[in-house]
Amino acid sequence: MNNRNNKLSAVLFMTILLILPIMTLASKKGTFSDVENRNLATPPKPSIEHIKDKSFMNGVEDYLSDHFIGRTKWVEAKVRQEILIGKEEINGVYILNDMLIQKLSPPDYEKVDKAMEAINNFASDNKANVYVMFAPSAGGIYSGELPTNAPIINQKAFIEYMYNKLNSNVTTIDVYNSLYAVRDEYIYYRNDHHWTPYGAFCAYKPAIKRLGFSEISYNKYHIEHASNDFKGTLYSKTLYDKITPDMIDLYNYEGGAKVLSVEVNDGMEIKEYESIYFREYLEEKDKYLVYLGQNQPLITIKTDVKNDRKLLVIKDSYANVFIPFLTQHYREITVLDLRFIRTSYNNIINMDDYNQVLILYNALTMENDDTLKVLNFK
Amino acid sequence: MVFSSLTFLYFFLPLVLSLYFISGKRVKNIILFLSGLLFYSWGEPFYVIIMIFSTLVDYTAGRIMDRYDNKPKVRTLVLLVSVCINLTLLSIFKYSSFLIGNMNNIFGTSFNDPNLPLPIGISFYTFQSMSYTIDLYMRNIKVQKNIINFTTYVTLFPQIVAGPIVRYADVEKEINNRKVSMDMVGYGAGVFLKGLAKKVLLANNIGMLWSEVKVMDYGKISALTAWLGILAFAFQIYFDFSGYSDMAVGLGKILGFNFPENFNYPYISKSVSEFWRRWHITLGTWFRLYVYYPLGGNRKGLPRTIINLAIVWVLTGLWHGASWNFVLWGIYFGILIIIERLVLGNILKKLPSAISTVYTFLAVLFGWVLFETNTLTDALRYIKAMFGGTRIPIDSLALYQLSSYFIIMIICIFASSDLFKTFINGIKEYKFTLKIYEVSIPIIQTVIMILCTAYLVDSTYNPFLYFRF
Repeated sequence: MNNRNNKLSAVLFMTILLILPIMTLASKKGTFSDVENRNLATPPKPSIEHIKDKSFMNGVEDYLSDHFIGRTKWVEAKVRQEILIGKEEINGVYILNDMLIQKLSPPDYEKVDKAMEAINNFASDNKANVYVMFAPSAGGIYSGELPTNAPIINQKAFIEYMYNKLNSNVTTIDVYNSLYAVRDEYIYYRNDHHWTPYGAFCAYKPAIKRLGFSEISYNKYHIEHASNDFKGTLYSKTLYDKITPDMIDLYNYEGGAKVLSVEVNDGMEIKEYESIYFREYLEEKDKYLVYLGQNQPLITIKTDVKNDRKLLVIKDSYANVFIPFLTQHYREITVLDLRFIRTSYNNIINMDDYNQVLILYNALTMENDDTLKVLNFK
Repeated sequence: MVFSSLTFLYFFLPLVLSLYFISGKRVKNIILFLSGLLFYSWGEPFYVIIMIFSTLVDYTAGRIMDRYDNKPKVRTLVLLVSVCINLTLLSIFKYSSFLIGNMNNIFGTSFNDPNLPLPIGISFYTFQSMSYTIDLYMRNIKVQKNIINFTTYVTLFPQIVAGPIVRYADVEKEINNRKVSMDMVGYGAGVFLKGLAKKVLLANNIGMLWSEVKVMDYGKISALTAWLGILAFAFQIYFDFSGYSDMAVGLGKILGFNFPENFNYPYISKSVSEFWRRWHITLGTWFRLYVYYPLGGNRKGLPRTIINLAIVWVLTGLWHGASWNFVLWGIYFGILIIIERLVLGNILKKLPSAISTVYTFLAVLFGWVLFETNTLTDALRYIKAMFGGTRIPIDSLALYQLSSYFIIMIICIFASSDLFKTFINGIKEYKFTLKIYEVSIPIIQTVIMILCTAYLVDSTYNPFLYFRF
């Protein structure tokens, strides 16, 4: 190569080498990343101890990269390049044409069996009727659209497997088929791992019959499009921005039952709210939190329904968007999130209050946390 | 510190280069020496003492040999002492666990394993500084009286942790007096970026496939997955290692040094002997100069030649790591090379070059299986899977892996063979295309630098998501 070109290379190299750190130094340093949902690194403090165990050196690298100029832009550029060379999976997320789908690891059947046993024990320990509803995730409904040859988990068969493990005094609610029938509708978020309110509504229809009510039909609801720029967890994992952002829809039944109060017990104190929709989260990054707010150990919802039916819901976050539909049928709904519970449920609630219990989980993530074993504690 | 980190690229390097370029000739070595110490201590804040100690030993040995220039016995004694100290340090830190473990196994003893950590780069820098005393003893080089200059040589940050193994003789003149020019900075930047791209864009990417396959149950994987996996490793280790060497050579050029090249398209070799003349060249050179030739090389008859080769290859295996699979790996290549020398070599020459290239590549590939699996049983199970031992020739996972890594695999094949070089040389034939080539080089370099930065930033992209919440 000739002289002039080498000089140009030298100038370009040195310029980039100097400009990026200078801009990084000069830029404003935030303390929290919305996209990554975590605190950013603070400047490391040198000390003999920290140098010896290298935490100072690692701290420098963390600080530099957390505050690197235009951090998310770099990551976006990298993801685009990866897709360009044929990658269909980024950071555990499949990239489809019009949506992102979480890649799930195959179930651990030993854990699954234990969880089902816990439900059986719970059902025989208590008088209340126990209903179980495992919702498939998007990867189950859209398994045919995943990248060719991508490992597929047959969620329909898996849910059936779990239902078969349950005793006859447990009522199972099949929603897989109901969801599969409407797979062309907007039933899962494109950028988040949850289902949409419409997906939840389609599952509500068969569920509410099993629970002994007739459904409130879809056209009774007024649907408010509260936001159309929701980019959820799957977007955060990939930073792939070519997928249409999601809508946050709020379902309201004008002539229906009203929610009187929502009591949130976070384990330390009890706060009361007026609505099951937490509109303040519309302004934040994780807009799914609009539905029932942050996950909390215990939430009690009171309505003006004229009956004395009380329901206990044991759930993960899939239930958050489902529960609003239940408020039309029960005077009181208690929502228990076992992931925060380390003790027997009898210490928290009085089981005699309930004649129905609904256990609602996303089928594939349910077994990853062993929290259902809490149901074994009497 | 590693080259492929933001700390190195956007903190250490701009700082050191700025200071280095603006300071005068005399100060340059001091800056290099200090930056080398900082660079090394960054990864090894405690064991930097070992490196300083071994440097001082070799410096002193050099001075004493010089002082008693006409007393051969003193010179020999000093050489032996310095070589012994170096090898002892290497043995203690690299091989003590291995030796004690084997002794306990064989003799039923129960010595405690001190579990010493392996100081970064110890295999490289001890070999480097040993080259100084040995060459000085053989009167190939002059003594280095300036301690800063000598320490600068050992701690030269481009090559201290992963080579190439730069012999003192290679840089003797440049340590004392070298020219730093814009031209060389630009050329060096190009070589450095080529290495960075090899490491960050190719090795890390294709390496993900191998890390996926490596932890699978070898009794259950399909033949295609087994082949893809080990192929991925072959590319990963080549682009990782040669990328690191390129970065070192490039940085050397930027600072005004001409380091020896370490790789020369090893995967297109037509025999295993040729492979080893193209793979990790500086290590081969070191063993040839300081072990094989002093033992008599091939000048003492066939039986001695074979013994000498055997010694060199067991040592080469051991150099790569203190465990039996590396020894086995070394012996494997030793045997192949001896066979090639005795019979196969002449046959290979007569065969069509495609066949001998395929033979060599396969031999190397099976070598990597030995290298990467921890036990011989695992290695054999893996090789069995490659030949359909699991009775699953292809499954959907293998096809998914193939389609996910197809393009990167093609790029790897292209870049590791001389196809790419031939292509570039073809372009240079014509004036018009040559012009386009020259104009596009700085653009390509800029793109590479930006892309690599994106990968480095992303490697720490770490969203904390409550997936089940």
